Amino acid sequence: MRQLTALIGKEGLEVIRTGKATILLLVFIVFGILNPAIAKLTPWMFALMSESMAGMGLSASEIQVNALTSWAQFYKNAPIVLIVFLLLFAGILTHERIKGTLINLVAKGLSRWAIIAAKGIVLVACWSVGYWLYYGITYGYTAYFWDNGAASHLVFSAFCLYMTGVWLISLILPMSIFFGSGSAVMLGVGGLFAVVYVIGLLPGAAPYLPTQLLDASTLIQGDGRLSEYAVAIGIALLWSVLNIGIAALLFKRQAL
Amino acid sequence: MSLLTLTGVSKSFAGRQVVNDLSFSVNPQTIFGFIGQNGAGKTTTMKMILGLLAVDEGEIKVNGEPVRFGQTPTNRYIGYLSDVPEFYGFMTPAEYLALCGKITGMTAATYKRRSSELLELVGLSKVNQRIQGFSRGMKQRLGIAQALLNDPLLLICDEPTSALDPVGRKEVLELLLLVKKHTTVVFSTHILSDVERICDQMAFLHQGRIVRSGTLQQIKAAHHTNGLKLEILFDSESDRERFKTLFPDSQASAPCKISLDRQTEADMLDILRILTEHRLPARRIERLEPSLEDLFTEMVRE
Repeated sequence: MRQLTALIGKEGLEVIRTGKATILLLVFIVFGILNPAIAKLTPWMFALMSESMAGMGLSASEIQVNALTSWAQFYKNAPIVLIVFLLLFAGILTHERIKGTLINLVAKGLSRWAIIAAKGIVLVACWSVGYWLYYGITYGYTAYFWDNGAASHLVFSAFCLYMTGVWLISLILPMSIFFGSGSAVMLGVGGLFAVVYVIGLLPGAAPYLPTQLLDASTLIQGDGRLSEYAVAIGIALLWSVLNIGIAALLFKRQAL
Repeated sequence: MSLLTLTGVSKSFAGRQVVNDLSFSVNPQTIFGFIGQNGAGKTTTMKMILGLLAVDEGEIKVNGEPVRFGQTPTNRYIGYLSDVPEFYGFMTPAEYLALCGKITGMTAATYKRRSSELLELVGLSKVNQRIQGFSRGMKQRLGIAQALLNDPLLLICDEPTSALDPVGRKEVLELLLLVKKHTTVVFSTHILSDVERICDQMAFLHQGRIVRSGTLQQIKAAHHTNGLKLEILFDSESDRERFKTLFPDSQASAPCKISLDRQTEADMLDILRILTEHRLPARRIERLEPSLEDLFTEMVRE
């Protein structure tokens, strides 16, 4: 346990001192502000476009925006922040293996399980802080401009997207055992996501796959039922825990 | 009891035998030189001792306990220093040693005390900058500090001087001599002068096998049984050429100088007799002590 807390401290310090924390905060804050800002600016941009469209003989009616427009932007931008997150952290284990920084510590009796667990905990913690900050900023500005009451099941649908992120992020660790660089890990995570997504297109398969959680954005418009996502949440959670367990098991047998 | 014992250890990578039936033991409080060319299997052997690589065959024991790949409780007895130790560049030396202290289960008071003692010892006590700006020599000195932090019984150094300039090498060798009082050192290298300078015992590794082992005196004595080397200095090059016609197997080693190998002391007396008979004046006749480098070259050739 002492090794785990020591390593969590080291990982945390690394995130702060290497500038990853600053980049993450900037990305999550900027996109958090951007969601309601785009919604707010949409009528103005539309009016500008209408003038040029009128010149071409096309007419457009005035557009109405509300809290749902801001939340629609939230779901559109979430994959971007998730990709930025994956890009920043894809090399969390491969970089140390390539550089050899773990050798000194393992030679001191550091358990390999603690290495994987500490990295897993820090990954999920960073994602949690960043994602809920992103959510909180969008929520605050949307409430300031409109009424969040127009959106149904806001927290639950955001939680579904959060769990998709947890599942994808947890894939970094087992992928780092199979691949030797951060970019290869990123491709591995992307490839597996694509495979699961395609399987989800098969009739009846979607409710049992974590990719189903991406559809939870429809809940805010009052479409669908919460229970449709319960199994996918459970599977995403179980798969994430398994990812860390499998990574720890494989890493134990890996030469350093 | 030996602190480190390897019995019949073998290891291969992709069908290539890197370490072959390796057996040796290291006694406490000695410096054991593990000598070999690049690719001889030194680093592989050290990584197997540390449990970082799996052993294909054989057994390794540290302080009487077997080493197991992936589970390395025996590493609590060991400090490890690699040729180019890698650290977290975003940390200061004190922060890095604190992390190592926590990992090894030391109390905060103990690792703080040890870390300040060791940073003083390696000359980094006044350095507060982050490790990312360190030179190789500074990294090597920090490597020694981290390796000694938990007062290990066994210090394993994998070519600790190979990446250093002469001043850095001297400093590291002096530090190793200093720690020998309390710690057993296994020291791999291909720099033979370093071995001659500090090692009590040594083993020559070639193509994954130990070709000779013992103290420096034992190894040199064994070499003597294989013959002796003479060097003769003449007054002129013409005298040297006359000698060469008498002894065609001799080799010119410098202007007016020639060297030749002979099997016995009687052969040496024969040479003296022939020199007298042919009135060939020699300014100096010297029986050369083989250097470790000569021995190593010869062993590799064998």
